[in-house]
Amino acid sequence: MALTDTASTTQVADTNGHKPGDDITFVDDAPTLSAPQMRVRKRDNSFEPVDPMKIVGRIQRCGEGLDGVDPMRVATRTMSGLHDGATTVELDELAIRTAASLIIEEPNYSRLASRLLATYIHEELRNTNVKSFSQSISAGRLVGLINDQTADFVEAHAAQFNGAIDHDRDKLFEFFGLRTVYDRYLLRHPETRKVVETPQYFFMRVACGLATEPDEAITFYNLLSSLEYLTSSPTLFNSGTAHPQMSSCYLLDSPLDSLESIYKRYTDVARLSKHAGGIGLSYSRIRSRGSLIKGTNGLSNGIVPWLKTLDSSVQAVNQGGKRKGAACVYVESWHADIYEFLELRDNAGDESRRTHHLNLANWVPDLFMQRVENDWQWSLFDPKNVPHFVDLYGEEFERAYIEAEEAGAYDRQVSARDLYSRMMRTLAQTGNGWMTFKDASNIKCNQTGAPPVAGEPPRVVHLSNLCTEILEVTNQDETAVCNLGSVNLSRFVTTDDAGDPTFDFDKLGEVVRTAVPFLDRVIDINFYPTDEASTSNSAWRPIGLGIMGLQDVLFKLRLPFDSPQALELSTRISEEIYYWALSTSCDLAERNGPHPTFEHTRAARGELQYDMWADAVPSDIARFDALKERISTHGLRNSLMIAIAPTATIASISGCYECIEPQVSNLFKRETLSGEFIQINAYLVRDLQARGLWTADMIAEIKTAEGSIQDIDGIPDDLKQLYRTAWEVPMRSLIDMAAARGAYIDQSQSLNLFMETPTIGKLSSMYLHAWKAGLKTTYYLRSRAATRINQTTTTTNRFSDQDAVACSLENPESCEACD
Amino acid sequence: MALTDPAFDYDDYQSRPDLDPPPATPPITAERNILDPGFELTLRPMRYPQFFDMYRDAIKNTWTVDEIDFNDDLADLANKLTPAERHLVNRLVAFFATGDSIVANNLVLNLYQHINAPEARMYLSRQLYEEALHVQFYLTLLDNYIPDHDERQAAFAAVENIPSIKQKADFCFKYMGSLNGVTELRTKDERRQFLMNLICFATCIEGLFFFAAFAYVYFLRSKGLLNGLADGTNWVFRDESMHMNFALEVVNTVRAEEPDLFDDAMNQRISDMLDEAVDVEYNFAEDLLREGVTGMSLKDTRQYLEFVADQRLTQLGLPLRYNASNPFSFMELQDVQQLANFFERTVSSYQTGIEGTVNFDEDF
Repeated sequence: MALTDTASTTQVADTNGHKPGDDITFVDDAPTLSAPQMRVRKRDNSFEPVDPMKIVGRIQRCGEGLDGVDPMRVATRTMSGLHDGATTVELDELAIRTAASLIIEEPNYSRLASRLLATYIHEELRNTNVKSFSQSISAGRLVGLINDQTADFVEAHAAQFNGAIDHDRDKLFEFFGLRTVYDRYLLRHPETRKVVETPQYFFMRVACGLATEPDEAITFYNLLSSLEYLTSSPTLFNSGTAHPQMSSCYLLDSPLDSLESIYKRYTDVARLSKHAGGIGLSYSRIRSRGSLIKGTNGLSNGIVPWLKTLDSSVQAVNQGGKRKGAACVYVESWHADIYEFLELRDNAGDESRRTHHLNLANWVPDLFMQRVENDWQWSLFDPKNVPHFVDLYGEEFERAYIEAEEAGAYDRQVSARDLYSRMMRTLAQTGNGWMTFKDASNIKCNQTGAPPVAGEPPRVVHLSNLCTEILEVTNQDETAVCNLGSVNLSRFVTTDDAGDPTFDFDKLGEVVRTAVPFLDRVIDINFYPTDEASTSNSAWRPIGLGIMGLQDVLFKLRLPFDSPQALELSTRISEEIYYWALSTSCDLAERNGPHPTFEHTRAARGELQYDMWADAVPSDIARFDALKERISTHGLRNSLMIAIAPTATIASISGCYECIEPQVSNLFKRETLSGEFIQINAYLVRDLQARGLWTADMIAEIKTAEGSIQDIDGIPDDLKQLYRTAWEVPMRSLIDMAAARGAYIDQSQSLNLFMETPTIGKLSSMYLHAWKAGLKTTYYLRSRAATRINQTTTTTNRFSDQDAVACSLENPESCEACD
Repeated sequence: MALTDPAFDYDDYQSRPDLDPPPATPPITAERNILDPGFELTLRPMRYPQFFDMYRDAIKNTWTVDEIDFNDDLADLANKLTPAERHLVNRLVAFFATGDSIVANNLVLNLYQHINAPEARMYLSRQLYEEALHVQFYLTLLDNYIPDHDERQAAFAAVENIPSIKQKADFCFKYMGSLNGVTELRTKDERRQFLMNLICFATCIEGLFFFAAFAYVYFLRSKGLLNGLADGTNWVFRDESMHMNFALEVVNTVRAEEPDLFDDAMNQRISDMLDEAVDVEYNFAEDLLREGVTGMSLKDTRQYLEFVADQRLTQLGLPLRYNASNPFSFMELQDVQQLANFFERTVSSYQTGIEGTVNFDEDF
């Protein structure tokens, strides 16, 4: 959008009915639109006076049908930020940012900003003479962005695809979603850095990269562009491109305890990281500090120096400039370097023993948790002396551990609670050191069903991934891989006959049935950076279908996060998704055969995930029984189907809350590579508007309370109950909800836990409960800063004389002036 | 004034016959005020527990320069920033590097000497460390941002050869030097003199100059630029907020103990000082924005400075001078809790100093 186009300049009236030129006073300070000396520089470098009414006209056209939006206000503020000689592009960008900055007052400004941005993107592409989807693909092929197969496919069905494009669907985007798509997802010309696709071309490109028939491509395009389901970022980035690496996660077994193996892993990690995968890797096999090195008769420095090198290596490989490389290291709780491992992210101490960019996770055996509970000792071992530990779990691990302990093969012994306390401290201080449970992860894994075969590597889950939702077996020849996609639950709430909101399970099932074949397709056309990844993925064919927007559903149905109805609904949703995913995978197996290792799985023995959870009973057991019959005949095309990923970015694109999380705040900002953007809970705003409570003072109060509404006078209790934040909902309910849903999650869930001010006592209680509830993994512990930045834009008088006197002299406890 | 002026020297003080000997520690029941001269050493019972709390809170927010990732910044500087924005950044970093050094000097030469409460001095010791940390941060920035050797030298010497920065430094020195030769605050005028120094550094330098500087950084951040600078600045801003709150708390304490110090003439001096600071900062803005930065006009910047100055006056219990509202919507972002996306940015809100022991019956 060039705001200074000489095209149509119809005289427009603003929303108050004023004619242009009328003397109007606005809410803002700038009293007038006239700026006589201002000029803008056009694309051809010529200057032109700024015409305020053109700016207003443009903004007004984009704001059509949006209640509560004042285009004049956006125009006025935009003008106020201009300087003489600004370019038209700068002017357009400023108008977009200005509209976005008003979201805090009225959520519909998000739509306005989004539409302004959509116009801007279309303009950018039009200037490169691309006028259709097929032209966009040809242009992309010409500069090496699009692979030949996809380009040929599109060329052969150009008219059909071009006809299916619906630019009107741009209007489904909230501003932050479209901004993210524009900044990071749309393919760009390698030299000019201008986009070569619009948002709708982008969805169609992703669809065509995964489809074999035109109808199939259009079906998938319709699914993506409706924002009812999105594939994970690597698929959105790379589908149809010259490097179709579309998997999100890679899990690598620990290197063997040798120099060659350790260095080979760095190469593996770099290759995988380069193509936008997140990495999980174990280091549990590497000997600990002080261990003898036979070749040199020296003593080992343990795992820390290797991890320091890994830290640098991951930093060096930037994921194609799109996002930074990221890795998580898993270490078992019996490893003798465990204490040093837990210090890796401290921000004090010897820098050579710190890894600021690695994520850390504990791979915790049940035996450890039992000893913590009983307050027993815990033995730490040098893996060189107990190399068999890593490949054992459950009773066999327990036997081997106690045997080695009794034989005195340990490096040293500590109090189990001392180590547990250190783990809790690391979680509180860094958010890292995630608690993931080795035995639950193995015993409830579909891939570990068959007894080990002599001569074959044991089938053991050695770790989870970067986001703790993937659990797959690994060994030296197999690097586990997973392709992810998530269903946007927020779009399945409809109105029933009585006019009440209700969850549409039929539509959910339909979307799952469409999505699964595409996740499965990725396995065949994916580009695998290493042989080990390719081997594993073609044998197990795992996929990870997840969800996002659970919080939206609960808001729409007015269910507090910790209500029994929320628990029931959430479990039911997961059951439904699991059922349809299995069913669809069984259909695929009927057509294409089961995945090659199907006979090794628990499903082959008639066991599904809910069978492995003691108390779980599906709501409709009959259809699962029937499904088991079909599975026993046809098998499954995929060994694993369900994993709930964090969905940070794709939830933004879809405009919903992240995966299974409660909202973090009613008002917060997102910080991303594309800048900062304010987000406000639109559900809350609508409710407050309906009750006549949405005022400037209310905004200020919510801001001062940092997004909490619990202590704001005048907000009714039902709203306070519904709109609690993650810091205010009991974590016990989150954990119980995750455990209930766990019966239908054959991999795992990225379960963040939140605690405003963590203490060792609270954390140790919480994580013991998580373990007892049977969770396989937990993710970040989110806590908050001890003190805050002073607010700059709220003008409450926080240090009046009287307050200060009361505070400093008489009763420091009761004073809130310094809170 | 010269930075090499002699600081307070205890031995010298002891040997000078013209001064009274240091007062013996009075019994704890006696009325003592925080600006009374001497070396109060008694921590229990604690007279000003709020300062001790601030000390402990500050420690919880420990961060290090090594945690900041500058990689994006270098790419942004090379490819994304307009020349006008690059000019802004270079000037800004040059100011920061000098600014925190000046604050540290004043802390040692004036504040520490005259704020006579051991718990408050504990906080000041911590603040001194934080100032050094900030200097280290901006030093690292300059080293990274300005690859050209000569240009970098010039930036480090900004206070001498960049007039708009020199003017700011002169403003600081004027109030820093105003206490020259005052080793004890005995008279009301001396105490007022000290308060002017304290208020100048809290509200004009940390509370206005730095707040303006943060606005530029956050402007760039709102456009997704210079994330490393923004991350570090976020931490610096958090520290500076604490410093200012501490100083204002001292002012409030003095006001409660000796209300008569704040007479009309004093209040007028404070208000005028802030006005002068707004002018000085505006001159700096004219330099920073001289090449034209879209989204940050000089008119809006002036209004922002006046808005901030009004906030300081409010915090001091003084009448508003400008009645200005905040024109920078991107500053609203800074008042809102962050949701860091861990794939992309480092998380800046974790705490150190965790308490408690393992047990299994707490609520969560």
